[in-house]
Amino acid sequence: MNYILSSLIFIPLLAVLIILCLPKQFYNGIKLVSLLATGLQLILAVWLFSAFNPATTQAYQFVEQLNWISLDLQSLGLLQIQYFIGVDGISLGMVLLTGLISVVGVIASWTISKNVKGYFALYLLLVGSVMGCFLALDFFLFYLFFEFMLLPMYFLIGMWGGPRREYAAIKFFIYTLVGSLLILIVMIGLYTSVIDPVATAIRAGHAPVSGPVTTATIAEVQRQVVAGTLASESLVHTFSIPDMQQAANFVPGSILHVLSQKKLWGYPVRYLAFLLLFIGFAIKLPVVPVHTWLPDAHVEAPTAISVLLASLLLKVGGYGLFRIVYPVFPEAAAYYAYFVGLVGVVSIIYGAMCALAMADLKKMIAYSSVSHMGFVLLGLASLTAEGTNGAIYQMFSHGLISAMLFIITGVIYDRSGSRIIDNFRGLAFSMPAFTALVVIAFFASLGLPGFSGFIAELLVLLGAFSSSTVSGMLPRWMAIVATIGLLLGAAYYLWALQRMFFGKHWVHPELNGKSAMTDLTGREYLMLVPLAILVLVFGLFPSLLLQKISPGINHFLQLVLQNGG
Amino acid sequence: MNLNAAFTSTAEQNSLALWALVVLLLPLVAGVLLLVTGRKLPRQGDWLSIGATGLSFLLALYLFFQVWEMPVVHVVQNWFGLAGAGSNTFAFTIGIYLDNLAVLMLVIVTFISLLVQVFSVIYMHGEWRYHQYFGYLGIFTFSMLGIILADNLLLLFVFWELVGFSSYLLIGFWYEKDSAGRAGKKAFLFNRVGDIGFLLGIFLFYTYFQTFDLVILKNAVAGGINQGAAFLFPASVAGNSSVTLSYSLLTLAGLGIFCGCVGKSAQFPLQVWLPDAMEGPTPVSSLIHAATMVAAGVYLLARCFPFFTEDALLVISIIGALTALLGALAATAQYDIKKILAFSTISQLGYMVMGMGVGAHDASLLHLVTHAFFKASLFLNAGIIIHAMHHAAHELADEHSDVQDIRNMGGFRKILPLTFYAYIPAAAALVGLPLFSGFLSKDAILTGAWAWAGFKSLNGNYLYYLVPLFAFGSVLLTGFYMARHCFYIFFGHSKLYQAPTLLRASKTTETSGWLLVPVAVLAILSLAFFFSFNPFSYAGSWVMQGLSWQKLLFGQPGLSADLLPAITAYLHEAAYISLATAVLSVLLAVGGLWLGWLNYKSARRGGILTTAAPASSFGRLAYHHFYLDAFYEKVIINPFMRLTGRVAAFDNYFIDYSLNTFAKIMVVLAKLISWGDRWLVDGTIHLVVKVAGFVGKLGRFMQNGKVQTYYIFSVLGLILLVLYILAF
Repeated sequence: MNYILSSLIFIPLLAVLIILCLPKQFYNGIKLVSLLATGLQLILAVWLFSAFNPATTQAYQFVEQLNWISLDLQSLGLLQIQYFIGVDGISLGMVLLTGLISVVGVIASWTISKNVKGYFALYLLLVGSVMGCFLALDFFLFYLFFEFMLLPMYFLIGMWGGPRREYAAIKFFIYTLVGSLLILIVMIGLYTSVIDPVATAIRAGHAPVSGPVTTATIAEVQRQVVAGTLASESLVHTFSIPDMQQAANFVPGSILHVLSQKKLWGYPVRYLAFLLLFIGFAIKLPVVPVHTWLPDAHVEAPTAISVLLASLLLKVGGYGLFRIVYPVFPEAAAYYAYFVGLVGVVSIIYGAMCALAMADLKKMIAYSSVSHMGFVLLGLASLTAEGTNGAIYQMFSHGLISAMLFIITGVIYDRSGSRIIDNFRGLAFSMPAFTALVVIAFFASLGLPGFSGFIAELLVLLGAFSSSTVSGMLPRWMAIVATIGLLLGAAYYLWALQRMFFGKHWVHPELNGKSAMTDLTGREYLMLVPLAILVLVFGLFPSLLLQKISPGINHFLQLVLQNGG
Repeated sequence: MNLNAAFTSTAEQNSLALWALVVLLLPLVAGVLLLVTGRKLPRQGDWLSIGATGLSFLLALYLFFQVWEMPVVHVVQNWFGLAGAGSNTFAFTIGIYLDNLAVLMLVIVTFISLLVQVFSVIYMHGEWRYHQYFGYLGIFTFSMLGIILADNLLLLFVFWELVGFSSYLLIGFWYEKDSAGRAGKKAFLFNRVGDIGFLLGIFLFYTYFQTFDLVILKNAVAGGINQGAAFLFPASVAGNSSVTLSYSLLTLAGLGIFCGCVGKSAQFPLQVWLPDAMEGPTPVSSLIHAATMVAAGVYLLARCFPFFTEDALLVISIIGALTALLGALAATAQYDIKKILAFSTISQLGYMVMGMGVGAHDASLLHLVTHAFFKASLFLNAGIIIHAMHHAAHELADEHSDVQDIRNMGGFRKILPLTFYAYIPAAAALVGLPLFSGFLSKDAILTGAWAWAGFKSLNGNYLYYLVPLFAFGSVLLTGFYMARHCFYIFFGHSKLYQAPTLLRASKTTETSGWLLVPVAVLAILSLAFFFSFNPFSYAGSWVMQGLSWQKLLFGQPGLSADLLPAITAYLHEAAYISLATAVLSVLLAVGGLWLGWLNYKSARRGGILTTAAPASSFGRLAYHHFYLDAFYEKVIINPFMRLTGRVAAFDNYFIDYSLNTFAKIMVVLAKLISWGDRWLVDGTIHLVVKVAGFVGKLGRFMQNGKVQTYYIFSVLGLILLVLYILAF
C-alpha cells in the first residue's frame, strides 16, 4: 500500500481514460465505470482513514516524493518541482470527505441524459483534481490540481446547467482564476525565496547522493545559507510546502525572507503576500464580499455538481488556508487575526441575512454555505485548539450536510421544475419520508446537538470566545456576534420548512402539479439516508474524526503560534 | 474537598448509573422504533411507547429508593478530546449525576409522561400520524430525562436544545394548520434567543475554569475568595493557575445562564411563545408546556445556583416576580380555555424563578414538583372538555364557534361530573387553598420572598418589598382567573349548545379508563398530604428536606454567600411569619375567588357574548398580552426582515452589479481595443498593402507587352527628361 495516495488520485483519472474509450451510447457502462472508480476510491479513502496513525511523530504519512521537473538555472540555482504527496491531520478528513461525496455525486448524476460520456469524463477529472489538491505537498503540484479543477467545473456548469448556465460558468471561472493568479504571484515569490535543504546538501556536496541526509547536515546547510557562504549555483529552490514552513529555509535577502524588511507601498512584503494568498483562497471559500459567484454557480449547476461544489470545492479554500497560508506566514497570520476573524463574522451574519431574504431554496442554501464557511475563518483566526479543530470539523460536517441540502433541492426541482419556496405548501402530505429527511438536514445545518454541525460550531465559538484569554487573537465580541448566526440559521431554515412543508398541500398551478410531487425513489434514499446517518454519527461520536486529526491540527497550531507569536 | 473523588466511582455507583442510562434510553429507543416502523406495528405501536415509558418509570422508582438521601452518584466518561500543547489534552466529558433532585425529577417526568401517553391513547385515537405522535413523545421524554441526568453544562445544553426540538415537533404536530406551524417555529426561535445567552454563559465559565463539569465548577466556585470587586479562585484542576474574576463578569456569566431559563421557562420578556404553543395537542401542552419542559429552567437555576452572584439573583427575582404578575394579569382577560392555563403556567413559573432569585431554593423546587402534578391535571381535564366540545360542534355541524372559548361552555358539572371532581382539587391547588399541594409550596415561596425583602432592605431601600408585593398580588389574580375559569366551564349551561344531550353523548369518552385513570391519579396527587405529612406546614415536607441546599449543594451556597443560608434558616425557623403569609395568601386567594364569582355573575347577567372584545382599555391590554407580540413584530422582526431584504438587494445590486459593470467595462474596453486593432493597426498595414498594390498596378500597366505602348512611354519619358533639363 505504498502507492495508496497516488491510487486515490489516479483511479478517477484512469477511469476518465476508460470512459473515453467506451462508445458514446453505452450509458450504463459509463455510469458503472464511474461508480466503480469512485467506489474504489472511497474504499481506499476509508482504508487510509483507518490506517492513519495519529500517535506518530511524523508530520506526514503515506508520503510519496519523486523528482518531477529539475531545471538547472546555473547561477540561479536549481529549479525543483516534486511529485510530493502525503496526508496529515489537516487533509485526512478532507480525503475521506472527497471519497464519500464523489460516490454520492455519481449516484446524483445517474439521471443525466445529455452527453453522458462527456459528463462523466469531466466529473471524474474533477474528482481526481480535488483529491490531488488535498494530497499535494508541493505548492506547484497543488496549484496544478487547483487550476485543473476549474476546467471540468466550467464545462459541467456551462453545458449541463440551468438557463443562465453560461453566465454562471464564466463568472465562476473568472472569479476563481483571479484568485489563482493571486496565489500564483505568491507561489513564485516563495519559490525564489525557499530552498530545499536536503537537495541543497546533496548538490553542494555535503551529503552523498544516495542515502539519508542527517539533521546535522541540514542544520549546517541552513547555517551556510544564512551566512551566505554557499554558492548560489548550488541552491536548490523548491516548491515543497513543508520546506516553506521553516524559517531557516528562506534565503537571506530574498523577497519573502522572514526577517526581510522589504516593503511595498509601505507594507512589509510578507504581509502583502499573506493578503494575496488569503484573498485567493477566500474567493474559493467563499468569503464576503467575494462570494457572489457562489449563488449563481449553485443555482445553475446540476444537482450533483452543486453537491460537489459545496461539499468539496469550497473546502479547498479553507484547506489552502490551513495547509499553506497560515503555516508559511505565521507572523502575518497573527498580525491579521483580527481582520480574518472580522471577515469570518461578517460572512456568518451577512450570509445568514441574505439567506433569510431568498425566495429560491437553492439560493438560500448557497448563502447558508457562505454563513457556515464564516465559522471556518473564525475558528482558524482564533488560533486556539478548540477553534482550529472546530474549523476543520466544520469543513467536514458542512461537506456532509450541504450535500444533503443540495440533493434535497434537486429532489424538488426534478419533480416540479421549480425551486421557489412560495410555489409549494404542505409538501409533508405528499412526501412524508422526504420531509423527515429535510427536517434532519435542516436541523443538522442549524446546529442542533446530536448532529455534526453542532460540534463544529460549538468548538469554533468556544475557541473564538476564549481566544482573548488563551491566544490573544480575537476580541470576545466576535464570538458573541457570531452566535447570532445560530439564531438566524434557525430562522431561515424553520421559515422555509414552515412555508414549503407545512400547511395545506398546494403546488403552484403552473408547475407540474401535485401529482408530480411523489415521495423519494430508491436512488434518492440511497443518497440521503447514508448521509443522514453519517451526520448523526459524527455528531454523537466526534472522537471518531477528532481522535485521528486532532494531533495533526495541534501540530499545525503549535507551529503557527511558535513562529507567529 | 477532594476534587477527584467525584471521578472514582464504585461498582455500585456504576451499576446505578447504568440503570439511569437505561431509564434515559428506553423512551428514545421506543420513539425511534415508532417513527421508523410505527405504521406497521399493531395499534401503531402505542403499547411499545407506553411500555417503555412504564418500564422507565419503574426503574426510576428503583433509582429513587436507591439514591434518595444517599450519597450522590457521579459517573464520568470521556466523550472526545482535543490534543493540546505538550501532552495536555482538552477533554470533553459526558456523565451521569444522580442526587436527590435528579432522582425525584426522574420519577416525576417518567410518571407524568406515562400518564399523558395513557391519556393520549383515547385522546389521539384516529389521528393519521398516531405513531409519530408517540414517537415524538418518546424523543421528548428522552431529552427531558437527559437534562435531569446531565452532569455538565455542555451535556445539559445538548439535551436542552433537543427538548426544544421535540417541543417544536409536537407544537407543530397538526402542521396542516398554518398557526401550528408558525407556533412551533416561534417557540423554537424564542427559545434559541435564550439559548444563545445560555451558551455564552457556559463559554464564560469554560474560558476561566476549563471545564463544563458541574461538580468541579461548584467546587471551584465554592473555593472563591471574595475580594470585594472581584473573586479569586484558586487553581481548581491540577495544571491550571488561579484566576481572578471581577464581580460584574461573574454576574454576567450567571445572567447568561439565566437567559436559558428565560427562554425555556417562558420568563419575561421571552414568554410570548408559550401561549402560542397551545396549538399543540392538549396532552402535549400538559406534559411539555406545563409539567416538565418549561420547569427545566427552574431545574437549571437549582443546578447552577452557586454560580449566581447576589446581583444576578436580584435580577432573577425581579424577572420572576414580574413574570408572575404579568402572566396572572394576562390570564384574567383570556377566554380560551387553554390560553388561560398557559398564562397561569407562565405566572406559576414566575413564582418558581422568583423563589430561586430570593434564595428560597427548596421552596421553589417544591413548587416545581407540586405544580407539575396539578397543572398536568388541569390540562388533561381541559383536553377532555375540548374533546367533548369538538364532538358537539361536529354533531351540530358548527364550524364557526370556537370550541376552546370558555364562553361557549357551561354546565359541564352535570355533563362531565368526573372531570369536574378531578378538576376542582387541581384548581384548588393552583389557587393555593389549604389542604392542597399548591398551598404548601406557594406559602413557602411567599415567606421566602418576604424574608428576602426584609433581608435586603436592611440598607434602607424598601423597594425590595415590591417583589413580595407582586407575588401576593398574583395570588389574588390567580384566585380570580381560576374562579372565572371554573364558573364559566362547569356552571350555568352551555351558551352555544342549548341541548346538553349532545354534549352528554360524548360522556362515553369520559368513562373510558384510559382517560380517567391519569386524571384521577393526578387529582389525588394535588393533595397536600403527599408532599408533607402536616398538610398545613411546608416545614416538615419531605420534598423540601430532601431538596435542601445543604444536601444538593453540599452546603456550598456559592457566590451569593450568605443569602441562601439566611433565607433557608428564616423559612424553617420563623414559623409565625410563615403562618402570617399563609393566612394572608389564603385570604387573598379567597378574595380572588369571590371577585371571580362577581365577575362571572355580572357577565351572565349581561348575557355572555362570545364576540365581544374586552371593553376596558386594561382588559384589551391584558387580552393582547400587553402587546408584547405586536412589539416584537413591529420593532424587531419586521425591521429586521426589511434589513435582510436590503442586504440581499445590496448583494445583488451593489456587489454583483459593480462586478458585472466592471466586467462590462472590460468588454467595452476590449471591443475598443479590437476596433483599434482592426482599423488602426490592421488599417495601417492594409494601407501600406494598398499603396504598394497601386504602385504595382501602375508598373504593370506600363509593362503590357505592346511595342506601341513602349514607344509612347519612351517618347513621353524623353519629353519629360527634356523638360526637366530645360526647366532646371
